[in-house]
Parts: sequence; structure tokens; C-alpha cells
Amino acid sequence: MKTILAWLLWLWMCLVLYGAFLYARPAMGFAAGQSSRIVFFHVPMAWVSMIAFLAAAVWSARYLLGGRRAEHDRAAAVAIQLGLLFGVLATVTGAMWARIEWGAFWNWDPRQTSITLSLLFYAAYLALRSAVEDAETRGRLSAVYALLGVVITPFLYFIVPRITFSLHPEPLVNADGKIDMDSEMRQVLFASFLGFTALFFWMHNLQCRLQALADRKSAHFYE
Amino acid sequence: MWRDASTWAAEAAAVFAKDWRCEFRTRYALNTLALFAFTTLVVVSVSLGPLGVSAAKGTPVLPTLLWLILLFAAAAGLPRSFVHEEETQTATALRLAATPSALFCGKLLYCLTLVAALEVLITPVYLAMMSLEVHSPWLLVGTLAAGGYGLAAGSTLIAAMIAQARGKGTLFAVLAFPVLLPLLLLAVELTRHAVSGEPAGMALTQILLYDGTVTVAALMLFPVVWNP
Amino acid sequence: MDAASLRFADVTRRFGRLRVLRGVSADVGSGEALLVTGHNGSGKSTLLRCLAGLLAPDAGTIEYHEGGRALEVAERRRRVGLVAPDLAFYGELTVAENLEFFARLRRVDVRRGLDLLGRLGLPSDQLVGALSSGMRQRLRWAFALLHRPRLLLLDEPFQNLDAAGESATRALLAEHLNRAGGLAVIANPFDLELDRVAGRLHLGG
Repeated sequence: MKTILAWLLWLWMCLVLYGAFLYARPAMGFAAGQSSRIVFFHVPMAWVSMIAFLAAAVWSARYLLGGRRAEHDRAAAVAIQLGLLFGVLATVTGAMWARIEWGAFWNWDPRQTSITLSLLFYAAYLALRSAVEDAETRGRLSAVYALLGVVITPFLYFIVPRITFSLHPEPLVNADGKIDMDSEMRQVLFASFLGFTALFFWMHNLQCRLQALADRKSAHFYE
Repeated sequence: MWRDASTWAAEAAAVFAKDWRCEFRTRYALNTLALFAFTTLVVVSVSLGPLGVSAAKGTPVLPTLLWLILLFAAAAGLPRSFVHEEETQTATALRLAATPSALFCGKLLYCLTLVAALEVLITPVYLAMMSLEVHSPWLLVGTLAAGGYGLAAGSTLIAAMIAQARGKGTLFAVLAFPVLLPLLLLAVELTRHAVSGEPAGMALTQILLYDGTVTVAALMLFPVVWNP
Repeated sequence: MDAASLRFADVTRRFGRLRVLRGVSADVGSGEALLVTGHNGSGKSTLLRCLAGLLAPDAGTIEYHEGGRALEVAERRRRVGLVAPDLAFYGELTVAENLEFFARLRRVDVRRGLDLLGRLGLPSDQLVGALSSGMRQRLRWAFALLHRPRLLLLDEPFQNLDAAGESATRALLAEHLNRAGGLAVIANPFDLELDRVAGRLHLGG
């Protein structure tokens, strides 16, 4: 069953690729029209990164409230690792697009700022995990930090951008704003979003299973 | 219920009093904070003055630098509130004897007073050294209060976390800075408004929102951090 | 006198790869003492810390009843009296100041602390940092008994004590078990001569 789903996912992503490069037409009003195709990858990955962090918070809550089970702690940690991966990819693709469109890789525009700070926060989560030896303490403290992330992220995404915008009111500010999308673009974007979400959960499942095996293997007890 | 509340407050007060009593006998935290803050202040002043950044270029940056000094001094001096307990192993006795929420409030009050002392010490000197004229002094006071509170609240929670980990000094900075960054930006914005005389605007509401949110989150999360 | 009882079953705890406690069980009732013996590293301290609520066991149950109802971990943690070698106090404060602080935390009359100071022969105005190891051990007893706990958890309780200290603490323990109907779990590397030892538990292989 799992194999069939995995193959379906592969097929879906192929369709997404086809849609992104061949089916949808390049958006109007962009410097190098073809470059707008990056939106089919950049935006879904950014969204999936946020979903990943939210999922990590849910698993962290389950860990704390549901009996401190190692599998929940593992699920949260893997979700954050993947969230960071997707987040970094989203940032890189965003920077590439910014370079093509507006001439500079980095501008500290509101969206770039928010995602960078968010990534810093979750990279710190990994630093915390590596600094605690005892499994129980590590699970507990990481869960708390992941939940703290839920509280801090709205500030990073709503308040910080307002400030950076008001601190840098240059006309060069990139409004990563509304693109005029025709129906084909919307279809591909939606399909890509679904595909990347499924990809996240598939990768998450795989990595959790791998991690569980590794944990079991290293858990031979001294008597 | 009121009796319980008064004894809870008495517990928190006892923690606060104990921390200050110990602090007065060693003066470790105050010395660290003051020394660090003044050293950083001198570095900032020297890099803007004698090393030749003109006043015009320097002024927009001054509010930011003030808050950076406060942030780094806090990172140097505040974590000790919990790290010291774990290192000297007095934390076990505290875990057995104290109610977590009362303990947190006592420690928060202690960190708050440290931050307040730091701000009172540093801000006038900073303003004088940079020849910075503040057009809305009351806004500045309010910003220092709200910003200082946020600094203390966030730092106290993170301190409790890293006290149970390795690499405490650097780990504190790594964990705390992303958490404190929104606060920092809001405080800088408000300080700028205070200097230039503009009205506070949304930032004041938002900084209070941050303070409130972090306090609630910390009160809910601290018992989990503190006890196994 | 309302009864108190402690029951733990199959308590298991490991640290990393090292399995320290392997399914330990026992029952302790009012006025009874459980003596736990075993070589170094057999898990005696770990067991006591689990019973105190300072460590969560990986498996097994710990049930503590006081006044007819079962106590949650957080309540149990505040209700027990623990004497352990790694219990430390504030070196910059005097003995009296330390006990006063903990009395405030425990919401207990401060005079109880002074009372215990006297019984244990502790110098009230000396800085804890300057205490000898024997005096420190007496202070641990004072801390443990401050709030009149029903359950005493004693890890190597007579360590470092001279004859006077040991007789004072033994008297307090006897009072706790006989007059107050309390329970005690006592861990020691070797056997101790104690009255009212209702059970013995030997850890380790």
C-alpha cells in the first residue's frame, strides 16, 4: 500500500513539473517571464515549512500531554528538521527570484526577514536538542521550545514585517505581492502545494522510521 | 482562596528576597552586568566618535545600539538566576519545596530588578556620551519599562531551560535571541520615536502585547521546564 | 491519625544505555520503615529520587496515599522529606536564613526551623558555605523535617555524622515513625540497625 502511494506521489510531482514548465504560461509583467515559474516551487515550499513547524508543535503538545512517548518527540524533531530544509530551499529560491526580478539577492524585505528569523528560531531548536544528553529532559525542553515557537511566530510574521517596512521605506522594497494568475497557473500552484505537502509527510514518515530503528539499535542495555 | 493567594505571593516574595540577599553578599550579577554594559558602551562610543563616524550618520543608529547593549548585558547577567541554582545543586531543594509558578514569579521579579538597575545605570550615560536629545522622555521611560520587562520575562524562561543543558552561555544566546528579536525591534522603533518626538503609534500596543503573550506562555510552560 | 501508605511496583529507570532500576516493588505502611540496601550503583539513590518525584520512572507505578487520598506527583514532591548526599543549600546565607527561606516556601511557621536547629545542634548564624560535612548532613535533616512530612526518604542518612549527630537524627526518625505514624524508605550501602524495619529490599545482582 505504501509503495503504491509513494509511486503515486512520484507521478504527481512529475505532473507538477510538467505543469510548471510546459502547461502554465509565464506570468505577465515580469522581467524575465520564464523566471516566474519559480513561484510553483518557492511558494509551496514556504507554506510546507510553516505546516511542518505547526505539526511539530502539535506533536510536542502530544508528547507533553500524552505520556511522554518517544515517538512523539521523534516526530516533532523530524518535522522541524524537514521544516528547516523546506524553509531554506524556499529562502534560496526566493533569493534567486529576487535577483532576477529586482537585481539583488537580499533586501531584507518583510517576507525575507520573517522567514529568516523563523529559520533561526528553529535552528536553535536543533542546537538545544544537541545540548541535552538525557532523553527525557531533551524531549521535555524541546517540546517547550517548539510550543514557544507557536507563540513567537505570529510576531515574526506580522509585527516584524511592519517594522522593517517602516524602517526601510525605500521604493525598492519588494512587494512579494499578488501576481496576476490565470486559471492554469492557479491549478498548477494548487497541485504543487498538494504535492509538496504529501512529499513532506512521506519524508517525515520515512525519517521517523529510520530514526526509530537507529534508536532501537543504539539502545542495547548494560545490566 | 485569598489566603492561598497571599501565601503564594509570600512564596514568590521569599524567592525574590533570597536571590537579592545572596546577590548583595556576592554582588556577582550586578558586577557582571555593569562591567559588561560599560565596556560595550565604551566600545560603541569609541567606534562612533574618535574612529570617525559623523554625528549625522551615527544618530539613526543610536537607538539600536542602546538596545543591543542592553540585550547583550542581559544575556551575560540574567541566566545566572537559574544556572547558579543547578550548578550549586540547590535546585533539588527548590524543586522539593517551591510551587513552580511562585518560583518563576520570584525569579522574574529578580531579573526585572536587575534589568531596571541596568537601564537606570546605562541609559543616562549613553544619552550623555552620544549627546542624544530625547524629545519625548516619558515615551523613553515607558519603552525602557516595557522593553525591559519583555527582556526579563523571555530571559527567565530561557534561563530555566538552558540551566539543564550543556554549553549554557552560548546556548542561551542562541535560544533567546530569536525569541527576543520582535521585542528588540519594537523597542528600537519606540526609542526612535521618543528621540524624534513622533507619537508612539501601534508599536506601543504591540510591545505590550508581546509582554503579555510571553508572560502567559512562560507561566504555562515553566512548570514543564522545571519539573520532570 | 489518618493513614499514609506508599506502594510502588515494577519501577524501572535507565540512564542512556545503563539500566539502573529493574522492576522494583514494595509496600510501606504507617509507622513502617523500608530498608533498601545494595552495592554502589545498584540504583538506591535513583529509586529514592523516583519516589520523591524528582525523576520519572520509565515504567512502573508509584502510589502514595495520605489522608485517605492518592497524591499526584507534584503534591507528593512537596509532601516528602528527602535527605540525600547531593542536597545542597545556599552557601552565602546562614543556616537560620536558609531554613527561614525554606519555611516560607513551605508555608510553615519559621519557629519550626529554629526548633529543629536546636534539636540538631546546628549553629544558626554560621554561613552554610563554612559548615563541616557533618553539620551539612544535620542541615539536610532539618530541611527534610521542616514541614512535618509523613513520608521520609533517607539516602545514606547517617553519612558524615558524629555520635551526637547520629543519636539526634535517630531520635528524630524514631519519633517520626512511632509518634507521628510516618513512613520511611531508607537507602544505605550496608545494613542499619533500626527499629520498626518492616521490610528489606536488596537491589542489584
